[in-house]
Amino acid sequence: MKILVCVKRVPDPETVIKLTPEGASIVTDNVKWVINPFDEIAIEEALRIKEKAAGTEVVLLSIGQKTAQEQLRTGLAMGADRAILVLTDQVVEPLAVARVIEKLVGTEKPELILMGKQAIDDDSNCAGQMVAELLGWPQATFASKVVLGGDQKGAQVTREVDGGLETLAIPLPAVVTADLRLNEPRYASLPGIMKARKKELKEIPLAELGVDVAPRTRIVKLETPPKRTGGRKVGSVQELVQVLHDEAKVI
Amino acid sequence: MIEWSEQHELIRQTFRRFVEAEIKPNLRELEHGDTPPYAILRKLMATFGIDQVARARFERQIAREKEGEAGPGERAAGPEAADSAAMQLIPVIELCRYCPGMVTALGVSVGLTAAAIMSRGTLRQKERWALPLLTLETIGAWAITEPGSGSDAFGGMKSTARRDGDGGYVLNGSKTFITNGPYADTIVFICKLDEGNEPRERKVLTFVLDKDLPGLTRSRPMLKMGLHSSPTGELFLEDVRVGRERLLGETEDVPARAGAKQTFSQERAGVPAMALGIVSQCLELSVDYARTRVQFGRPIGEFQLIQLKLARMEVARMNLQNLIFRQIEMAGAGKRMTLAEASAAKLYAAQTAMDVALEAVQLFGGNGYMAEFQVEQLCRDAKVLQIYAGTDEIQVSQIARSLLRG
Repeated sequence: MKILVCVKRVPDPETVIKLTPEGASIVTDNVKWVINPFDEIAIEEALRIKEKAAGTEVVLLSIGQKTAQEQLRTGLAMGADRAILVLTDQVVEPLAVARVIEKLVGTEKPELILMGKQAIDDDSNCAGQMVAELLGWPQATFASKVVLGGDQKGAQVTREVDGGLETLAIPLPAVVTADLRLNEPRYASLPGIMKARKKELKEIPLAELGVDVAPRTRIVKLETPPKRTGGRKVGSVQELVQVLHDEAKVI
Repeated sequence: MIEWSEQHELIRQTFRRFVEAEIKPNLRELEHGDTPPYAILRKLMATFGIDQVARARFERQIAREKEGEAGPGERAAGPEAADSAAMQLIPVIELCRYCPGMVTALGVSVGLTAAAIMSRGTLRQKERWALPLLTLETIGAWAITEPGSGSDAFGGMKSTARRDGDGGYVLNGSKTFITNGPYADTIVFICKLDEGNEPRERKVLTFVLDKDLPGLTRSRPMLKMGLHSSPTGELFLEDVRVGRERLLGETEDVPARAGAKQTFSQERAGVPAMALGIVSQCLELSVDYARTRVQFGRPIGEFQLIQLKLARMEVARMNLQNLIFRQIEMAGAGKRMTLAEASAAKLYAAQTAMDVALEAVQLFGGNGYMAEFQVEQLCRDAKVLQIYAGTDEIQVSQIARSLLRG
């Protein structure tokens, strides 16, 4: 079977983020870039399926600038078979991402799309759901366990939901988005890194796909979270309740 | 080579991630010697498939030797040789940003002990001892230094082997400052054959010992100035009886002195990469500190005396990096550094690491003297680079001797 894994290049979550003076984007100089951590979990899951089911092909897909090659190479070094990079300099919203994926599914014909439940830069959490909708495929989001049927016609996916776990049985082809506890991604091994250089990394200009990627939203303003200030001691439960009500306004 | 390739960067990033996830959080335990470094090192070998690469390389070499081709010393030139050198150097650089001791523990086991057996052992000895050392299943120690013989390793050597008349030998002597000594499974022991002749004229022999041989005792780890994550100890041999199968090469006519010298050269070649790791980390921490530490109302990076320190650290980093590029290029060209060049590189790298680390401590002021800020550890660790694998003074004399030989 063929698994398509979507990979986004995002700032390292450990990077200290600074806003540009206009306040609608972040300063990207000196930022370290990584694979979106949830996408990395999706890659790992695809590789584990491949290790169990011989003949599985894992194809990576990223949309963005040429620099996203780095993240794709890392995924190839982990063990994916080949990669596709859809080149564009513009900001691509979740709906545009979903349309690009839909288009490539037409040529690649995967049986399974694995992706992170959300990207840690804009935290939209909707590309996966939109792809499923556009393709008319079943979806299982926030997966914490994926068990593929022996006949590869369906999968059982456990999801983390409020108050517990839910297990869905879905037929393939389907879209599955990965949550944090699905697995622990491997490091690329040295032989893996050596082999990655020879694997195919195909680039397709976004314009060639003929997909409507016009933005529907505009970022007006970004704000950093308020600076943490020191704690404060209160004298009694009554005072605590009062402060929570009057000042923090949480009750 | 003028810069790291994309692939090198990928290797670096992957190792850095491992080091920051697995070593950085355990630094205190490693630093206080509560945790020997081997479990993490084995995890590193397994995670990156280094053990498999080592096994495959071993098997290829053994197959070649069985077919009667020249085994050791054969070096293929080409981009793959350069890549393979880079793959060995980058992990050293990254590990040394946090834990130079780990590189020493690993290097002595895989680089010195296994390499000594691989270069002069018989096929049987290689399969028995070198393979598990190369994959780090077993830990190795290379024992040459003695209480009375440091820089004058062969001249002052008192450890002896006497023939037992049965084809075997009886070994006696004591060794000190032996990296991995307290935990080693396999020990390469260098001594002199006592035939009743003058000590200075005696043949040098090398034996491979197992830790549990009767008559062999090992000390607990010694207390040191730095490099705490690399256990160092003493070995004592009292009438240790060994068969000929433990004599390296299984003949008394192996050129053991030349072999040990080759090992010295190899040991030295590893120091620039270690120094680059220490210097890079000191520089990165210092730049960050100079940006954020505010005194007299502004970041200290705005003061010219601080800028001078940073600029000198950067010059050191560039020089060391160029030295590493040269090493990689030489490997690609199938060339090896002469002993004089290896000495020069080692001398420069060791002094530079020490200078930069001391300056980093100074730049951090009171914080630099505190363990929390890490530069004091790197500073204590850096000092050993000027002492082991030949002191600065010995390197100077090697370089001078080669110049004057004309």
